[in-house]
Amino acid sequence: MNNENIIEIKDLKKTYENGVIKALDGINLEIKKGESISIIGPSGSGKSTLLNMIGALDKADEGHITVAGMDLMQKEDLSKFRLNEIGFVFQLHNLIPNLTVLENVQTPLIETDIPDKKMEERALEILKSVNLTDKINQKPTKLSGGERQRVAIARALVNHPSIILADEPTGALDSKTSDIILELLLDIHKKENVTLIMVTHEHNVAARAHRSIYVLDGKIKEEKINSAS
Amino acid sequence: MKFRNLILKNIFRNKSRSILAVIGIAIGVAAVVGLGLITDDLTQSTESALTAGAADFSVINSTNSPSGSGGGGGFGNDQLINQAAVGQIQQVKGVSSAVGELRTSTNLGNSTSSNSSSSSGFGANFRSMTNIIGIDSSDLSMDDIAITNGTAFSNANQVIIGQDAAQRLNKTVGSTITISNKTFTVSGIYETGNFMDDRGIVMSLPALQNLTGNTGQVSLILVKASNGTDPTALASTIQQNYANDLSTSTSLSGNNRMNNGLQVISSGAWAVSLLAILIGGIIVIVTMMKAVSERTREIGVLRAIGWTQRRILGMIIGEALVLSLIAIVVGLLLAVGIVELISLTHLLRGINPSFSLLLILKGIGVALFLGIIGGIYPAYRASRLSPTEALRYE
Repeated sequence: MNNENIIEIKDLKKTYENGVIKALDGINLEIKKGESISIIGPSGSGKSTLLNMIGALDKADEGHITVAGMDLMQKEDLSKFRLNEIGFVFQLHNLIPNLTVLENVQTPLIETDIPDKKMEERALEILKSVNLTDKINQKPTKLSGGERQRVAIARALVNHPSIILADEPTGALDSKTSDIILELLLDIHKKENVTLIMVTHEHNVAARAHRSIYVLDGKIKEEKINSAS
Repeated sequence: MKFRNLILKNIFRNKSRSILAVIGIAIGVAAVVGLGLITDDLTQSTESALTAGAADFSVINSTNSPSGSGGGGGFGNDQLINQAAVGQIQQVKGVSSAVGELRTSTNLGNSTSSNSSSSSGFGANFRSMTNIIGIDSSDLSMDDIAITNGTAFSNANQVIIGQDAAQRLNKTVGSTITISNKTFTVSGIYETGNFMDDRGIVMSLPALQNLTGNTGQVSLILVKASNGTDPTALASTIQQNYANDLSTSTSLSGNNRMNNGLQVISSGAWAVSLLAILIGGIIVIVTMMKAVSERTREIGVLRAIGWTQRRILGMIIGEALVLSLIAIVVGLLLAVGIVELISLTHLLRGINPSFSLLLILKGIGVALFLGIIGGIYPAYRASRLSPTEALRYE
């Protein structure tokens, strides 16, 4: 594996329903550490499946995929890998409704050996970086869509992951809030030198990443470097 | 945030569902503990009755069935024994003491005033029959009669009354009671540990013989073996010596019969308890399955952010166990409350339920069993959820 590459994917294939649906049909991709990538394509093109493969949420049928030095085709339980290397941001924030903002951000840390006090300090630090210090004791139901997504970003960052995977992070937000969230993600990516991979169907969002990958029918049809990034 | 705090918060997330689960488990706990309280006391009371007193066995008229002897039971229609036989039995080698006892039963009805008189006649309605025992006051211990209040009778006009009869008839020391047109003064309250005898009245043997017209006759002879003499062998000897007239009944044979009865009661109690446990288990499984189903997407998120299958399993089982702990308290209170209520309303006359550590441990065991069994399958399913499928769950 090239030292600069944090992700290397070779001829990755994934089918569903006994091979009837080819979700991924021979994906080849290399992503450098600290790069920002957008994966764009129509619904059912395989972009979310690709994201799930990178995030070790799903396993490919064939091919090779190495992420942050881990061969994801070899290991069975990848929970610890996700905990240490990946930060997920979902389209629907997916926060736990009965927990406060501060508690939601701490949920990944429960799986670690970090002491309670340190856990809280780290969560507060991250919440400060996403400007939610004044909302730490609120329940998610009391927050706006943008605030919820900022909490979800804070949760994704609390373990200091090397890769942030964002699946339609602005898909459920209005355009103004979308811009704020996108700026926040890109800002964190730059400041923390975190590799950012976003799945989106919005071209203007995709264009904000350093590189865009167009996926169709489980294959990468086009790659381009975005000048605006 | 501590993992246990998350578990506790999840418990109170859907209060109605949690309450339902707690009720389900509590019913199982209450059934086991409540029915256990009753059957344990019944067993204890019966065993106490069968092994009671100094008497090792009793001798009755051979034409009578031996059931109910050994210190307890009613003899209203039984054939009597000539009192002279008491002296003869006393002479048998190996007999330490032989005591004649006359037993009958009567309907005393229910009086309401502590100082009022109750009157009755023999041979009345069986439903409210009271055992009347005639025995010399110096021989009370042979029938395991212990005075708890007042003194033993000192003349033919005095009686002692069993604690349950005293409660039922509203009598205390100094009260009067009329039996077959003769008025007696209650000189003391006694208990035997035998729920049948605790519902009775004891007077001197001559007093009861006069009252019933059975002068010179007894219902049974209580026999105590000398030290070193095998009571069973002694009973056999007496049985052989008086084959045509007398019959012996050891506590053992009575015990066997009573044990069969107790086993039926105990089995019935367990059947009801098992049914309650089954119902409780189903309620817990259904509520926990529902809890997992509602949180499928959330479980997917937790898996995505790095939670292991074991952590998910621990969370769901932890929630089930917390529900069980709450249910233990609720179930025990429920059991005590119901049994106390039944006791107060005298629906279980003669039975004084008392808690034992074993019974509490049984209740706790049932709750934990239900919690684990009810939680383990939903927890297993939750832990096995594919993160991607869980995240797609609507």
